[in-house]
Amino acid sequence: MTVLLEVKNLQKVYTTRFGENNVTALSNVSLSVEKGEYIAIMGESGSGKTTLLNILAALDKPTRGKVLLNGKDITAISEKEISAFRRNNLGFVFQDFNLLDTFNLKDNIFLPLVLSGKKYNEMNKRLKPLASKLGITDLLYKYPYEVSGGQKQRAAVARALITSPQLILADEPTGALDSRSADDLLRLFTEINREGQTILMVTHSIKAASHARRVLFISDGTVFHQIYRGNSTTEEMFQKISDTLTTMATGGDIND
Amino acid sequence: MTRLYPSMAFTNIKKSRRTYIPYMVSCILTISIYYIICSLADNENIALLWGGNIIQSYMGFGQIIVSIFAFIFLFYINSFLLKRRRSEFGLYNILGMEKRHITKVIIFETFYTYITVMILGILCGILLDKLMYLILAKMFGGGIPIGFYISTSAISKSFGLFGIIFLLILFNSIRQIYKAKPVELLKSESTGEREPKVKWILAALGVACLGSGYYIAVTTENPVAAFAMYFVAVILVIAGTYLLFTAGSVALLKLLKKNKGYYYKTKHFISVSSMMYRMKRNAVGLANICILSTMVLVMVSATLSIYLGLDDSLDKRYPAEFSISSMADDPLNNDVSELLDKSLSKEGLKKKNEISYKDLSVSAVYEEKEDRFITDPDSYTSLSAFQTYDKLATLVFVTLDDYNRCMRTDETINSESDVLVYSNRAQLETDTINIFNTKLNVIKTLDDFMVSGNMAANISNGYFVVVKDDTVLNDIYKKNVKAYGEYSSFINYYYLTDIAGDPEENKTAIENAFNDIKTQLNDSQQSGDSPYAGFTGAIECRSVEGESFGKDLTGLFFIGIFLGLLFIMATVLIMYYKQLTEGYEDKKRFEILQNVGMSHREVKKSINSQILTVFFLPLITAGIHVAFNFPFIFRVLTLLNLFNMKLFALCTIGCFLVFTIFYIIVYKMTSRLYYRIVKK
Repeated sequence: MTVLLEVKNLQKVYTTRFGENNVTALSNVSLSVEKGEYIAIMGESGSGKTTLLNILAALDKPTRGKVLLNGKDITAISEKEISAFRRNNLGFVFQDFNLLDTFNLKDNIFLPLVLSGKKYNEMNKRLKPLASKLGITDLLYKYPYEVSGGQKQRAAVARALITSPQLILADEPTGALDSRSADDLLRLFTEINREGQTILMVTHSIKAASHARRVLFISDGTVFHQIYRGNSTTEEMFQKISDTLTTMATGGDIND
Repeated sequence: MTRLYPSMAFTNIKKSRRTYIPYMVSCILTISIYYIICSLADNENIALLWGGNIIQSYMGFGQIIVSIFAFIFLFYINSFLLKRRRSEFGLYNILGMEKRHITKVIIFETFYTYITVMILGILCGILLDKLMYLILAKMFGGGIPIGFYISTSAISKSFGLFGIIFLLILFNSIRQIYKAKPVELLKSESTGEREPKVKWILAALGVACLGSGYYIAVTTENPVAAFAMYFVAVILVIAGTYLLFTAGSVALLKLLKKNKGYYYKTKHFISVSSMMYRMKRNAVGLANICILSTMVLVMVSATLSIYLGLDDSLDKRYPAEFSISSMADDPLNNDVSELLDKSLSKEGLKKKNEISYKDLSVSAVYEEKEDRFITDPDSYTSLSAFQTYDKLATLVFVTLDDYNRCMRTDETINSESDVLVYSNRAQLETDTINIFNTKLNVIKTLDDFMVSGNMAANISNGYFVVVKDDTVLNDIYKKNVKAYGEYSSFINYYYLTDIAGDPEENKTAIENAFNDIKTQLNDSQQSGDSPYAGFTGAIECRSVEGESFGKDLTGLFFIGIFLGLLFIMATVLIMYYKQLTEGYEDKKRFEILQNVGMSHREVKKSINSQILTVFFLPLITAGIHVAFNFPFIFRVLTLLNLFNMKLFALCTIGCFLVFTIFYIIVYKMTSRLYYRIVKK
C-alpha cells in the first residue's frame, strides 16, 4: 500500500501575545496514513487532537515538523495556493455541519466545485450518484433549516465527497447528532471507506472510533498508543478502545 | 434588592456601548436640532431682522418636520437595539427574572438615557443655537448681541416632545418583552431565515410607480399647476423605491439564480444568494437611506442655487434701477418723468438705457382643444385653484414700434391680423391666437422680449404679443372693455431707466433720489392739491426695494442646509447600524466559506463587493431620482425667477459629488467596524 499522508515530528507551540507563556499543544507527533485507510484519532479535550486536525487541514501552521500529502509538504504551500489545494485534495466534515443557510442543500454541495470553476452539467453529473448513495436526492432543494441534523450531516458529507478528495478529514462528525443519525453516518463512512476513500476522523466518541480500522490515542501532545482493528468486530473494537481509555484515565502504562 | 435594577440598567448601557453610544449621539443631535429650530422660531432678535418673520414661519414648518422625523428615526434605531438584545432578555428570564423585573430594568435604562440625552442635547443645542444665530445674522445683516440666548419655551418643548417619544419607545420595548416566550427570546438571533419569496406583482407595481412618478416629474409643464401632481409624483417615487428595493431586488436576483450558466460561476454563486438575504433584511433601511439622500440632494442643491442665483432673480424682478408704471392715458406721466429727472440730477446721477413703452395686459383662460383664449369672466369661477394656474394665461400686447425701439430690432408686420409672440413659461401650441372673437396669426415666435418686472412676479403663463400698431392695440383694448366690463384692463405705460456707474457706489444717492420722489408723490396724493395729484402709477427702485428681495429665499436656503444636516446624520447612523448587523450576521458565513476552501482574500473580496453593492445602491438610485427631479425643480426655480439652468445643474452636480465623497468616507469608516466584527 502507498503512503498517502505522512506526519513527521510535528510540534505546535502557542505563544501568548506578550510571549510570557508558551503552551505546547503538540510536542512530537509522527504518524502515517496509507491510501484507503480509515483512522480515528482519540483523545481528551486539550490533548491536542483539534490542533493536529487543523494542521492536517492546512488551517494552521506547525511550529516544527512536516506534513506530507502524496509526498508534498503542505506546510510549505504558499498562502495563495493553499485554498485551492485544500479544495482539490481534502474534504471536510464538521461537527456543526458548516452549511450555509443561504443555499439549499444542492448549492451547498456544489460550493467547492463552483469555487473551482466547474461547469453546471459536470457538477450535476457528479451529484446524481452521490446524492442517491447518501439518500438525499429528495432533499436537494431544501434549505438547511428545513432538514434534520442527520440529513444536514449527509449533505455535508456529499459536499466533502463531490470533489473526489484524496483524504476526508472529519472533526467530531457525530458530535451534534442523535444516536440513530450517528449510526447511519458511521455506516456511511464505513461504506465509502470500503469503496477506497481514505478517512481521518477526530472524535472522543468510542462508538464512532470503533468503526475505524485503526485508532490513535493522543495524550499530552504525542501519539500515546494505537490499536489496529485486524479482524475484530465493531463490538470487540469498542471494548478494546474503552479498555485503553480506562487504562489511560487511571494512569496505567498501556504497554504493560 | 431595590438598588439592583438601577445598577443593572447602568451596567447594561455600559456593556452595550458599541450600539448604545451611537443611539445616544443620534438622540442628542436630534434633540439639539429640535431645540435650535424651536429657539430660533422664538428668538425676538430674529423677528427684528429683515425678513425675520418669514424665517420664523419656516422654522415653525421645520419644527413639524423634525418632530415627525425624530419620532420615526429614534423608533427605528431603538427597534434595532431591541432586536440585538432579545437573547439577553431571554437569558435573564431563564435565570429567574420575571418579565416584570426585566421591565423594571428597561424602565431605568430608558429613564437614564432620556435624562442624559436631554441634558447633553439641550446643552449642545444652546451652544449651536448661538452659532446658527450668528450665521443668520450675518446673512441678514443684523446686529449681534453678546451672550447666549436661552429659550425656556424651546427647552420645555424639547423635553415634552422627546418625553413622549421615549415613553412610546419604552412601551414598545415592554410590549416586545411580554409578547415573546423565553425560548424564543434566547434563540431569536439564530433562527434560520427563509429564502425570500418573489412578489412579482409588487415588483411590477414598483416599476410602474417609479416610471409614472418619473413621467409626471419630467412632463409637467407649469410647476404651479403641477404642485398637486408633483406631490403625487413624489409619493409614487417613494412607493416605487420601497417596492423596488424590497420586491424588485429579490425578483431580479431570483431571475439571475434561475439562469444556471450565470449563477453557477465562481464570481456570482455566493454573491447572488447572499445578496438575496441581504436585500431581504436591509431593503427597507436602504430605501430609507435612498429617500433621505434624495431629499438632502434636492433640498440643498435647490436652495443653494436659489441663494447663488439671487442677484439673477433680482434683475428679473427689477429689470431697471428706476421704473415707473402707470396708465397710458395718465396726463401726469410726463410730469412724473420730469420729477424723476430732477431728483436724479439733484443727486448727481446720470440715466442710462432708458426705455419706455405701452402695453395692454389681459388675462384669459386658455382652452387647448379649441385653441382659443376664453375671456368670459364666468369661466374663471369654474376652475379649481390648480387648474387656474395651468390654464390662466396673461397676454401682453405691445405695438411693433415700441418693440423695435426697445429691443433695437427691425421686425415687420404687414397685416393687422398678424402678430409676433414670445412666451415666458409654457409655449403656445398653435400658430393662431383666438381672443375676443378675433383671430390673430402668429407669423413669428420671438426669442426675447422687453424686460418686465410684473411679468416676472406673475406666475401664470405669459404670452407677449406684438401687434402692428396703435390702431390694433386700441381695438383690442375696446374689445377687452366690452368683454370684461368693470374688470377690464387698461393700456399701461412703462418707463424704465438705469443709472450710470456702479450701483453699490451710488447707493446712497439712489436711495436719496428715490425717497425724494416718493415723498413728493405720496404727499401730493394725500393733500390733493399738488401738481401730482391723482397720478395713477407707481415708481419702483431696485436698490431700495431689492434690499428685502430674496430674504425669504435665503431663509429657505438656511432651512435647506439645516434639514440637510439632519438627514445626513440619519443616513450615517442607518449605515452604521447596517454595517453592525451585517457584521454580526456575516461572521459565521465568513468562517464556513473559509472552511470549505475559499481563501481569506476571496471571502473578503466577495463580501466586500456585496457590501459595496448594498451601500452604493441607494446612492446611485438617489442620483437617478435627483436627475429625474431636475426638470421639475428647475421649473419651480423659474417661478422664483431663477432661469439659470447651468447654475442649477452645477449646484446639483456639485452637491451630488460632495455628498458622494461624504458617503464614501462614512462607508469606509463603518466598514472598518464591520471587518473588526467579522474577523474576531
